[in-house]
Amino acid sequence: MNALAISDRPMISRQLARLPGWAVLAVWTAAVLLPLYILVVSCFKTTAEIYDNRLGLPQSWALDNFVNAWTRADLGHNFINSLIVTGGAVILTIVVSAMAAYPLSRYRLGWNAVMLGLFLSGIMLPIRLASVELFTLMRNLGLLDSLTGLILVYSAIRIPFAVFIFANFMRVLPSELDEAARMDGAGEVRILFQIILPMVKPAVSIVAIFTAIAVWNDFFFPLIFIFDDRYKTVPLAISVFVGQFRTDWGLVFASLAISMAPILIMYCLLARQIREGVGAGGGMK
Amino acid sequence: MTTLRRTSSLKRTQQRMAVLFILPALAVYALFVLYPLAMSLWGSFFIWKGLRMVEFAGLSNFSRLFVFPSGARLYGALWHNTAWFFGIMVFQNGIGLLLAWLLFLRDKGAAFFQSVFFFPAVLSPVIVGALWRLLLAPGGVVEWALNGLGMHQGSLTVLGNSHAALGMLIAVDAWNWMGLPVLIYTAGLRQISGQIFEAAKLDGAGNARMLFSVALPLLMPALGTLTTLSFINTFNQFDIVYVMQGVQGNPSYSTDTLVTYFYRLAFGAEGAVGITDIGLALALGTMLFLILGVGTLLMLRFFDRRTVQL
Repeated sequence: MNALAISDRPMISRQLARLPGWAVLAVWTAAVLLPLYILVVSCFKTTAEIYDNRLGLPQSWALDNFVNAWTRADLGHNFINSLIVTGGAVILTIVVSAMAAYPLSRYRLGWNAVMLGLFLSGIMLPIRLASVELFTLMRNLGLLDSLTGLILVYSAIRIPFAVFIFANFMRVLPSELDEAARMDGAGEVRILFQIILPMVKPAVSIVAIFTAIAVWNDFFFPLIFIFDDRYKTVPLAISVFVGQFRTDWGLVFASLAISMAPILIMYCLLARQIREGVGAGGGMK
Repeated sequence: MTTLRRTSSLKRTQQRMAVLFILPALAVYALFVLYPLAMSLWGSFFIWKGLRMVEFAGLSNFSRLFVFPSGARLYGALWHNTAWFFGIMVFQNGIGLLLAWLLFLRDKGAAFFQSVFFFPAVLSPVIVGALWRLLLAPGGVVEWALNGLGMHQGSLTVLGNSHAALGMLIAVDAWNWMGLPVLIYTAGLRQISGQIFEAAKLDGAGNARMLFSVALPLLMPALGTLTTLSFINTFNQFDIVYVMQGVQGNPSYSTDTLVTYFYRLAFGAEGAVGITDIGLALALGTMLFLILGVGTLLMLRFFDRRTVQL
């Protein structure tokens, strides 16, 4: 009824009434994109040019800053470390969490709820507060200054969220699925990895995306566990650059651009999954 | 009989397989999360020499936390975290609600705006902090723009100003995470039945009435999620402060937070450089653990009770 009443109004006044709303949306879009635009164009400018020409396009699309960041500041090395740590943590988290979630969501064990609760309590635990004891533990295990150490810590932190997601997705699969396979003589390992896991691909991608973002971006644990330059990850290196190369703005802007490139690419490819994942769970941080 | 035996043997196999399947995840999680956390809580009741537990100390670490010289740092950080939380609630989750509502009213372009608004949230706070530190620096682009618009004169020193710095950090954090409330609110709004809005429209409710009287009560679960997440995130705030203002929370501790203070006590940058006070750090950790635990439970209960059932 009322929808009709509105459409009776002339088109133009309806659009006019919406103008303030569009303006608000445009302002925040500019607030997000303008700093990122400045970041991108500044990568191609010398420091003098950054001062002279704040908003304009660079005089030439010179890659000097990127080359300097990659080699002189050795960001390339940090980049590879971050890739190894992120990849390792994503794989380890997915494998062990899927394994744990399978019996917890599909067997009748009598202790499913208790064990699931123990994992889920970890989603909220403020692990940074345990960093002193964690440091002692890592030192005793010989895992300081080690990418393996970072992979283990990140996996441990991400396991609760991953188990939660996998268990939710696996619980709703029909029970005939594994029963039929069991009749055919398939082992439990095969049932999990060849039948169940391919059925919960959305869960795998949610866990992979959010684990990758969290690990790639983390700064706190490299800060306390990594001292040797050879093992520093990108965010740790960036935090040093900002102070060290404070007069060479072009180089710092370029290193920021390099360090956000993988996330930007992933975001462009997977924006819809990310939006839906966050909207549904909010289980981002 | 045979089926019974088969089920019971299946049960036994399942119990054994379950243990084997759960063990890797449980071992990693217990060793690197549960064990250190439990030891940290336990250790806060002991006197420490360097990284070694010496003797039981009861609550003496906790009482030291509240008096000179730690008291000023503690109360300062506690206040900054609290201000940060309310700042985020108003500027991030408040403006986020407005943006989400505007997107909900428009069928076109919502996905595009959501993607743009959320993009900073997938960036590391280190990158966000470093970017804004460059933009807000004296001689930076914000100073240039404000001078050009005649809104400011001379050198911009907000990050060096102890009255303005904390507010700037909160604004940067809100910029970083604005997409989160937008996504969570729009997901919540889409779950509300269209008939409710139709009925409100028939009763003559305008857009503002519709948002505050109709939509907001039904958005309680979304608001609850956001409040709890914002609470946990602000009381764990570290990265932005470290990158923009240093681990001391410069200038003169005006942007110090509980976790930056914890970091200095635990890893040495408080007082003379390199001096740590593990007992004090663990006591602060335990206190923060209690604040987070009790606060989160209270918030979840508060919003659970206010959830409107339809």
